[in-house]
Amino acid sequence: MSRITLSALIAGLLFGLGLLVSGMANPAKVLGFLDLAGLWDPSLALVMAGAVLVGLVAFRLAGQRQRSLLAEPMRLPTARDIDRRLVLGGIGFGVGWGLAGFCPGPALVALGTGDMKAVVFVAAMLAGMALFEVLEGQRT
Amino acid sequence: MGWRVAFIAGLVLAPVLWLLFGALPAIQIDAGYPLLIAAGLIVGVSTRYGAGCTSGHGVCGLSRLSPRSLVATLAFMGSGFATVFVVRHLIGG
Repeated sequence: MSRITLSALIAGLLFGLGLLVSGMANPAKVLGFLDLAGLWDPSLALVMAGAVLVGLVAFRLAGQRQRSLLAEPMRLPTARDIDRRLVLGGIGFGVGWGLAGFCPGPALVALGTGDMKAVVFVAAMLAGMALFEVLEGQRT
Repeated sequence: MGWRVAFIAGLVLAPVLWLLFGALPAIQIDAGYPLLIAAGLIVGVSTRYGAGCTSGHGVCGLSRLSPRSLVATLAFMGSGFATVFVVRHLIGG
């Protein structure tokens, strides 16, 4: 395994462990955050704020480099446009997120517990991504 | 093995690593199978269409101070709050 592959694996593990520790891999807890009119659980906002604080420092350091620590070219997102796709995609994602309490990262962590419901959600999510590819292919 | 596959593998293997040291925390999925399938399809299509999710736009995009990601984050937070309100308090209430 190359050092790049290994570092990505460790990053994934760390991200997954963070989601488990913070309770964000638990859809019931996520829905508790999205339920403003119920017994609101602010955890998700606090976890996200904590992650962004760390990210602010990390991306600031990354932005000052031409190459990564493993000497790869830096590849940061370049898209700037705030368009219909971005907003409709965001709104659509929020609907799906609110229906089940799963977003992609936590769903993949839950998949690793072997929970059949997580398996079904991830299968449907991958089907949705494949459906997007098909629809996108027809546009061009 | 590409780095993307390795990263995804790390996410999926996190609970396995956790289990070596103790019992997993609660993962409570209340949605039934039809709802999980519908939600999964919507999340799959939309995160590709909007080019990001809670991690991509929410954590990484906000960390980079991206106006684009701020708009996306406000969009999915808003519709997430609205969806749960409709499901729990209008339909289920």
